[in-house]
Amino acid sequence: MTLYEKITTLYTELTDADFMPDSGTIMLQNDSDGKGDYIREWNHPTLAKPTQEQLDGVQ
Amino acid sequence: MTIAIKPTASGSTIEQNGSTILTVDGSGNIAIANDLSVTGSSPLPSGPAFSAYMSSSQSLTTITLTKVQFNTEDFDTDNCFDTSTYRFTPNVAGYYQVNGILTLIGTSGTAWVMYLYKNGSVIQNIGNQRSSGGEGGPSGSALVYMNGTTDYLEMYTLVVATSPSIYAASSVFNKFQAHLVRAA
Repeated sequence: MTLYEKITTLYTELTDADFMPDSGTIMLQNDSDGKGDYIREWNHPTLAKPTQEQLDGVQ
Repeated sequence: MTIAIKPTASGSTIEQNGSTILTVDGSGNIAIANDLSVTGSSPLPSGPAFSAYMSSSQSLTTITLTKVQFNTEDFDTDNCFDTSTYRFTPNVAGYYQVNGILTLIGTSGTAWVMYLYKNGSVIQNIGNQRSSGGEGGPSGSALVYMNGTTDYLEMYTLVVATSPSIYAASSVFNKFQAHLVRAA
């Protein structure tokens, strides 16, 4: 399961628009350095940035 | 050989063996009829230029900004492009023309975007295709100032689709290029 899928499973109210760099408040990034996807920015006005434990718990 | 300088109605010409080789108009503009060679410093830019592409396809995650892995060079005049970090770090300060094109594929795609990063942050959305389907081909260019020491450029992409990837069957599908157009 990708990071995007885990976050949208935790917060079902999020839409694709929330992740778009031009208009959203959440930015996911992968620097092609072998470290994988990560949350670069989380500025959502009401939803808290998920913890690593929360993300790890998503099946 | 004969050389003649002749006045015209609004300027003058220089002729060699009866043929005009240089014309000066009334505003002082100079037109040269044949090839021009320069001994010494050339007025034309000779700074870094590179062109890189991908030798293989790259898998992506939907709606995740991902650095494009340009791992092969067409040319790199000053060894300023790194094919392991995919960064262009020019060694001459000035203004650089940057070009990019990507071939992106996926299922039920809705957005295919290409971003230019400078020093790790987005500075320009240089290709933005918001069309539905299974393929997108954003392309674009930018003009960027680089300090010639620490500034670096990278290309990122973002796709909204199921199972997206960058298609790279040959060198023609994806390019990242830049060259100096004006020294600082």
